[in-house]
Amino acid sequence: MKTIKKKSPKLKQKPLISKKSGISLKLSGQKKKSLPKNSIRNQKRRQLKRRASDQDKTRNHLGEVIRQQADELKFKNGQIRSWEDKDRLAEEQVHIRTKAMDSTADGIFIIDAQKPNFPVIYTNQSFQKMTGYTKREILGRDYFDLYGTDADPRIVREIKHTMLQGKSFHGEMLSFQKNGKKYWDLLRIAPVRDPSGTVTHYVGIQADVTLIRERDLEIKEQREELLHVTRVGKLAEFVSSLAHEISQPLTAILSYAQAAQRILAGREPQLQEILQYIINDDQRASEVIRRLRSLLKKSKPTLESFDINVLINETAMLMATDVTVRNKVLKTELDTNLPAIRGDRIQLQQVLLNLISNSLDAMEGRDDSRELVISTSRKGPNMILVEVKDSGCGIPAENMKKLFSHFFTSKPDGLGMGLSISRSIVEEHGGRLEAKNNPDRGATFYFTISVDKKDVS
Amino acid sequence: MMPDKKQVYIVDDDESVCRALKALLVTYDFVVETFTSAEKFFSAVPYSALGCLIMDVHMSGMDGWEAHKRIVASGSKRPVILISGDKNSGFKERALKAGAVGFLQKPFNGKMLIDLINQVF
Ligand SMILES: Nc1ncnc2c1ncn2[C@@H]1O[C@H](COP(=O)(O)OP(=O)(O)OP(=O)(O)O)[C@@H](O)[C@H]1O
Ligand SMILES: [Mg+2]
Repeated sequence: MKTIKKKSPKLKQKPLISKKSGISLKLSGQKKKSLPKNSIRNQKRRQLKRRASDQDKTRNHLGEVIRQQADELKFKNGQIRSWEDKDRLAEEQVHIRTKAMDSTADGIFIIDAQKPNFPVIYTNQSFQKMTGYTKREILGRDYFDLYGTDADPRIVREIKHTMLQGKSFHGEMLSFQKNGKKYWDLLRIAPVRDPSGTVTHYVGIQADVTLIRERDLEIKEQREELLHVTRVGKLAEFVSSLAHEISQPLTAILSYAQAAQRILAGREPQLQEILQYIINDDQRASEVIRRLRSLLKKSKPTLESFDINVLINETAMLMATDVTVRNKVLKTELDTNLPAIRGDRIQLQQVLLNLISNSLDAMEGRDDSRELVISTSRKGPNMILVEVKDSGCGIPAENMKKLFSHFFTSKPDGLGMGLSISRSIVEEHGGRLEAKNNPDRGATFYFTISVDKKDVS
Repeated sequence: MMPDKKQVYIVDDDESVCRALKALLVTYDFVVETFTSAEKFFSAVPYSALGCLIMDVHMSGMDGWEAHKRIVASGSKRPVILISGDKNSGFKERALKAGAVGFLQKPFNGKMLIDLINQVF
């Protein structure tokens, strides 16, 4: 009885499945086939009924038997149907599997491992699309031909080698479509074994990751450009401070030499000549500095109106790799309700970058301090406050005053330019850049920046 | 002090620059006094004292711009020549606008400075 009861929900499900096209046709066909079996059952029932009417005496008893047999029949009938269901389900499953394999965006293929030359015996549609070959061109063909002739032979050899050892391969390679177009192929190939352990097939899945790759490359390029601009900016600032420092003694030397020339007026021609050489070389040195300066002239700021949060997110993204590699976490707590600011994007990005890299430096080698938080908030009607807070080494009191001066650094490979350049940028934008130690640990560098007058709400 | 000798004050926070400029100016018969900060200059020399001032722009403490502003605000007629080691194309214009009689980029030729002093004073 239980089996019969159990069946009913399955039967109820039928229409649900059969709604899907392709499957429904098959189901209705099966229903028709089962009709003759129903008529046999009816005949039997009729016979039983006749026997029951013959034997009046045992009517009640027979009634019982009939009921029992009817139940039995019902049960057997149910069983037959359940076998049919099983067949149907199996068929459905194969169908669904094929459909699934064809609708996935990943390329799927199966290689016969027991024939030489790795013939492909199955491919789904995505694989065909990815490689650019038709199903007919693929089936039976050496799988390794499908990478294209320009594929790196070392990688191909490595994949083959891994497969022949009965191991799984997982990696990324540059492959070529039939028409020569290249794509980045994220590939996994695994051996399939029979019960005795012999590898009978290889099954592979591949994904076209060209877009992701390109995006990664783009980010990398942007980052390198940013770092380049930062370095050039620092160098310019460095040269300009250096020029200032050097121009002082050059001024003195020039004046001393000219004074000496005048004192000697008309006497000591040899000394006069030497003094003239000193003056000439002094002027030569000045000229070198002058040229160096014009070479690294700071470009004029280009002011535009933009959302500081967007710039912070962009900068955070560009620094993401650095942050991860250094085992740190960069968080943002951005006030989403801020007006636009007016400023030079690239210069302000330099400021953010300098502050972020300083914070990362300050947290270097401290596994317990990992968090770096950049936050924005409104400060009064005309200003926005940007804070870069770290949990690093903090700033010793005696260094507090020197932080922003040229050349001040506590790092072996530091130029000591990052903060002085950042402060001059922020001040050119009408804001202020300051530093403070956090109450618990680490430091916070914060700056204000004026909002775009047109956007004051 | 001979009455025909012109008085020149030099304010620069670099001592060597002060000494060298003084050495040069003395050969042109100027009477020269040097100071390594604007504060020192103000406390030693009254606004009324005659003399041309040669002053560096970039100094710690009160910088040349501010010191110059002060002199102008006092109503003093003292001629001021600003000098700077920072290369900034806007400085000359800014100096002249503020009322300075001249601006020189360091390092400058002694002759230029002398000519400038003689021109204005
Ligand atoms: N977040 C911070 N925590 C602690 N100390 C800091 C932090 N940021 C800066 N400092 C201190 O200030 C100094 C100056 O920083 P600055 O960015 O100007 O130069 P730098 O980082 O040493 O070199 P670079 O010119 O390459 O940036 C640093 O060497 C460091 O001692
Ligand atoms: Mg730095």
